[in-house]
Amino acid sequence: MNIKKIMHVENLTHFYGNQIGCKGINFDLYKGEILGIVGESGSGKSTLLKCLSGEISPSAGKINISLDQGGVKDFLSLPEQEKRQLMRSMWGIVHQNPRDGLNLRISAGGNIAERLLNVSEKNYSFLRNTGKYWMEKTEMDSDRIDEFPLSFSGGMQQRLQISKILSSNPQIVFMDEPTGGLDVSVQAKILDTIKSIVRDINVTMIIVTHDLAVVRFLTDKLLVMKDGIVVETGLTDRVLDDPQHSYTQLLTSSILQV
Amino acid sequence: MKTGFNFAYLDEATKRMIRRKILKAVCIPGYQCPFGGREMPLAYGWGTGGMQVTASIIGKQDILKVIDQGADDTTNAVSIKNFFKRVCNIMTTDRTTEASLIQTRHRIPETTLNKDQIIVYQVPQPEPLRKLEPKEKETRKLHAYKEYALMHVKLYEEISQFGSVIKTWAYPVETNNRYITDPTPIPKFDNPKMNNMEALQLFGAGREKRIYAIPPYTKVKSLDFDDHPFEIQTWDECCSICGSTKSYLDEIIINNEGKKNFICSDTDFCKSNLEKNK
Ligand SMILES: Nc1ncnc2c1ncn2[C@@H]1O[C@H](COP(=O)(O)OP(=O)(O)OP(=O)(O)O)[C@@H](O)[C@H]1O
Ligand SMILES: [Mg+2]
Ligand SMILES: [Zn+2]
Repeated sequence: MNIKKIMHVENLTHFYGNQIGCKGINFDLYKGEILGIVGESGSGKSTLLKCLSGEISPSAGKINISLDQGGVKDFLSLPEQEKRQLMRSMWGIVHQNPRDGLNLRISAGGNIAERLLNVSEKNYSFLRNTGKYWMEKTEMDSDRIDEFPLSFSGGMQQRLQISKILSSNPQIVFMDEPTGGLDVSVQAKILDTIKSIVRDINVTMIIVTHDLAVVRFLTDKLLVMKDGIVVETGLTDRVLDDPQHSYTQLLTSSILQV
Repeated sequence: MKTGFNFAYLDEATKRMIRRKILKAVCIPGYQCPFGGREMPLAYGWGTGGMQVTASIIGKQDILKVIDQGADDTTNAVSIKNFFKRVCNIMTTDRTTEASLIQTRHRIPETTLNKDQIIVYQVPQPEPLRKLEPKEKETRKLHAYKEYALMHVKLYEEISQFGSVIKTWAYPVETNNRYITDPTPIPKFDNPKMNNMEALQLFGAGREKRIYAIPPYTKVKSLDFDDHPFEIQTWDECCSICGSTKSYLDEIIINNEGKKNFICSDTDFCKSNLEKNK
């Protein structure tokens, strides 16, 4: 089997002034893989994700990406225009707060259409049908396609944001605690939805969370972070069942106690 | 000619600067060029941008026509015309066919313009993306990177809400397959006239200090969807003066019972059409 490597990260490091954000990060990401990033608050998860998704420019390191077309590229030296284009269609970020990823002045359908319009032909029925399709796929009521984001509950807004991102059939999706701000019961349902969709469409994803249950449930591979560095990495089941680093042991034992 | 004014009011250095911007604008169809706008003896919103463009390109041989909403005899059109008469000592006309230079607000004449003519539009807001994206820095990027999805989202929203695109004036166009351009508040009825027009089209925005241009024979496409194609306004009525069925009609109420009549908005066209049909 020949699985394609779509991201290669080497010695990725980011400092905020003297403060370590993340340091010396290395990993490879393969097509169809779901990579989890876990660690306590302040361990550098968001910083790493922001470096990977182009939101911040890291202080040092290398990110090679392999696009469906165009071969291997040095992500960090891409011109702004290409980075923006990547973010608008081939990659996608699901923000913790759905309002950061949605345009509140346009309808649910318009939000999805905006993303599709970056890549598709200009056909209204196509935008409409694809919008409804993705709303249903994320278990939303597609009759509400013309409603504005603020008329939806927080959980529904998050589903809408996920619909929007997935509608363009992205190569990589980045999620930073996508259910962080929601009630526990809503969280579980959305994670269920995410799980069923990602398996279904075989998307590649990097997801930040500090919930080990989510990790177990969703991810193939895991990076465990502490104080800005990766202390342990491996297949999720291996790391959770047979943790090597003392910090991971602490982390996994604490979930068992819960 | 009255003394105390340079020809066409602006000094030669200013005219040269504006001409350079016009040349740049012609080279990049639909791109908004910033320029160092000057004060004109008129308040913003009354066509100062258009006047600066006109003042920079007008010559002694030019015959000027000025229209406001299609009419030559409105206060604004007359005062701009008188201004140029005074500072240039040139001829003016109401006849579209006689004019070499036409300054306009809100209409394109019905009579097809030719390659020896230039039309100058007064522009209240040059940025078609402004309502969708308030930040100037960001709209510049959207243009530079050709990221125009939001523009179509606006149309999407109108079709979803109202069944069709309801925007009837200042309907955005794509110029030369590249820049999205604000055609100024002309009715969308006039948009097709911009496509492949033989005359040079110049746009001046006074308050925003921008000049843009559409060179002769340039493709100008009104934004739409494949399955919701762009359409212009139509009327069941014809002009009650000249009988035209092809011109843009204004609706006027003619008595206290609210009886309506329709007449050509282009007064010169209406007059000529009436004479022709006599
Ligand atoms: N903009 C910033 N300026 C300065 N320091 C920052 C900034 N953002 C994060 N940091 C610091 O960098 C370190 C890593 O922060 P980061 O937000 O990446 O952690 P995290 O793992 O995402 O935490 P959490 O679980 O709370 O979201 C922390 O010490 C944090 O205080
Ligand atoms: Mg974080
Ligand atoms: Zn008429």
